[in-house]
Amino acid sequence: MCMSWRDTLQHEVRAIFTNPTILLTVFGGVLLYFFLYPLPYIQQVPRDQEVVVVNLDNSQLSRHLERMVDATPQVRLSARASSLAEAERIFVARKMAGILAIPENFYRDLLLGRRPTLSFAGDAGYFLVYGTVLEGMAGAGNTLAAEVKMNRMVMSGQAPALATEQYSAIRLNLVPVFNPTMGYVNYVIPAVFILILHQTLIMGVGILGGGQDGYRQRTAPLQLLVVRTGIFVAIYWLLAMYYFGFGFTFYDVPRLAGLPELHLILLPFLLSATFLGICLGSLLPRRELVTLLVLISSLPLVFASGFIWPISAIPTPIIVVSQLFPVIPAIQAFIAVNQMGAKFSTILPLFYQLWLCTALYGTLAWWLLRSKITPPIATEGAS
Amino acid sequence: MTSFQPFGRLVVREWRALLEDPWLLSLVSWIPPLIFLLLWAIMSAGIARDLPIGIVDLDKSAMSRSLIRHYDASSALAADSAYIDPSQGAAALRAGKIYALVVIPSDLENMTLLGHPPQVSAFVNTQFLLIGRIVNTALLQAQGTFVTKVEVRKNLATESPVFDLALAGAVPVGTQVTPLFNVSTNYAQFLVAAMLPAAWQIFMVAATVLSLAAEHRRGDTRQWLGTTPVRALFAKLLSLAILFWLHGLFFLWFMYVQQGWPMHGDWTVLLFAQLLTVCASLASASVFFFITMDAARGLSLAAAYAAPGLAFIGVTFPITDMTLPAKIWRSFLPVSHYIEIQFGQVNYGAPLPSAIPQLAALGWFILPLLFSIYRARKLAESPKEDRICA
Repeated sequence: MCMSWRDTLQHEVRAIFTNPTILLTVFGGVLLYFFLYPLPYIQQVPRDQEVVVVNLDNSQLSRHLERMVDATPQVRLSARASSLAEAERIFVARKMAGILAIPENFYRDLLLGRRPTLSFAGDAGYFLVYGTVLEGMAGAGNTLAAEVKMNRMVMSGQAPALATEQYSAIRLNLVPVFNPTMGYVNYVIPAVFILILHQTLIMGVGILGGGQDGYRQRTAPLQLLVVRTGIFVAIYWLLAMYYFGFGFTFYDVPRLAGLPELHLILLPFLLSATFLGICLGSLLPRRELVTLLVLISSLPLVFASGFIWPISAIPTPIIVVSQLFPVIPAIQAFIAVNQMGAKFSTILPLFYQLWLCTALYGTLAWWLLRSKITPPIATEGAS
Repeated sequence: MTSFQPFGRLVVREWRALLEDPWLLSLVSWIPPLIFLLLWAIMSAGIARDLPIGIVDLDKSAMSRSLIRHYDASSALAADSAYIDPSQGAAALRAGKIYALVVIPSDLENMTLLGHPPQVSAFVNTQFLLIGRIVNTALLQAQGTFVTKVEVRKNLATESPVFDLALAGAVPVGTQVTPLFNVSTNYAQFLVAAMLPAAWQIFMVAATVLSLAAEHRRGDTRQWLGTTPVRALFAKLLSLAILFWLHGLFFLWFMYVQQGWPMHGDWTVLLFAQLLTVCASLASASVFFFITMDAARGLSLAAAYAAPGLAFIGVTFPITDMTLPAKIWRSFLPVSHYIEIQFGQVNYGAPLPSAIPQLAALGWFILPLLFSIYRARKLAESPKEDRICA
């Protein structure tokens, strides 16, 4: 126990900043993912999905409908077929997103009050595309239906002004909130950035923890734990500020939380993730195995965190186990305060959970470091 | 030991090495199927049910209660959280307790009966985009059904006593929506079919880097490569390829045989595409090792390469709307070419010629393989390089 706090700090800083693997993982990873992850989603919403139209009616009204569908931002009519079978062939061959079928005698039936049926088909194998295409086609279809109703009302003697107001008995005003444009970047970034911070932090700490050096054998476990955690938390505090500040501004992601709230959640989040990294680094025999575990766990963690698929629909055992990972409460807490403007009091359970993780992994890390360091009986200490 | 070694012996040596390394053995045996099953289990509900929505009923009339029942009747929604005033509901929406807040105005029934359409407002949380979309659609459908009922009743009472005409008066154009290739609009079928190949690629890349690094750790990469570096490299890659091809077969079997999801394509094409994907992934992964010559650094690079794969695959977000840099990065990922073949086969039963561009794209991954062979040869020739890089 002959290392002073200052010596330990110097050694740890040197060990971190001269280790190319840690630098690559921590700074390289955080910077690279910053550009790479949002890259596919930069355009935010899918537009102009290609749809093939089968117009068996060929009336002036059905062509009007075609133009209305084509005018929606979601859909572009880019092919025309003379029969449904041909439409299906074009759909598969050219990988289109949907089919719009206008039935025979559409116009006549409409005039006769017979309620003709428009058919929309979309490729539900690709869900976002499917939703987008249907939104566009159904929107145009509803507008046409409203126009028809208004015409009828005017014809039966209603004042046009009244008719425009009364075409529906009750109107529904759907307001998307928190992500009003329903953009994909705004959806993915807030959660994935937390995951990136968590995963690269654990990898970085784990890689350091794996390497056994002589000097660590002479350091008090608690001292080593405090110093190492302090350094990593400080580095990641800066990186987190870079993500939340510059990153969110760069990608135009809203920030509703006040700085004190963010700092308040960051503290237990970064502490618990660092401790978890130290635990893994001490438990696993080789440093690259931490990277491996982190890599393997990424996909399950993303999907268990509740921002893609509702928690209520995920099997309970998976949810229970996932609570052990600091990233799960962290994603939920950060999204709630920063994206949805939740009051801090509503996320207190998540906040306490993060502190619980901190206590759990902190104790475990301390215990592991102690059991690794205390018996320096020539076996490991020599190397 | 560095003398000529027959291929068969090299392969046997690979398998023996695998059996001796518990971590690597786990990574090429039970871990991938376990994670595949875990990912499937997360999504296994397939269809989201009873998502909580909040209601602020300022009218408290028979009609508003009937409207709420219509929302609640939708399988996707559960309208059981009532709030006294909008601000209370908004707080719950912000806290994430409910996915949408519906505010029914105080004069709903009166205005409807008087023929002045009132407006119901629904605030839908779209931060969780997929869930928000489900709630959106469900609300629209429930509202549509309710409004149609109200209007049909009115029409029956006033202008057209025939039901069909009353219905046509309320909804002049009927719509029929057909979800192609995923008839039940099952989210598991849609997402899991992309998640598993993305995870598969992560395993392949990680295992290749670790397996190459294992030689490094055991002693000398040079000694392993011997005088027949190409043979040694191929023996290793072949062993891994067989294992991962089996894993690919496993998730296909699980989804399209065990789960019985519809599969319209040709198994031969799919399996051939998988084999090419395995080779392409192993080839790219070996580059990561040969440029770093280090397990941890190689794996970090591999992580950066494979981890965001799902985002680029083009299933969650359409390829047509990706920017050029995204499309370029995407083309470096074997699994993104594979997924197009898989979807083409499984969903459309597309003929083989339509898969040729993707198969050809996978063929280009011969380039990283050639690079690895070149590096392996160099390494085998120069006795010192190995140590310098380490």
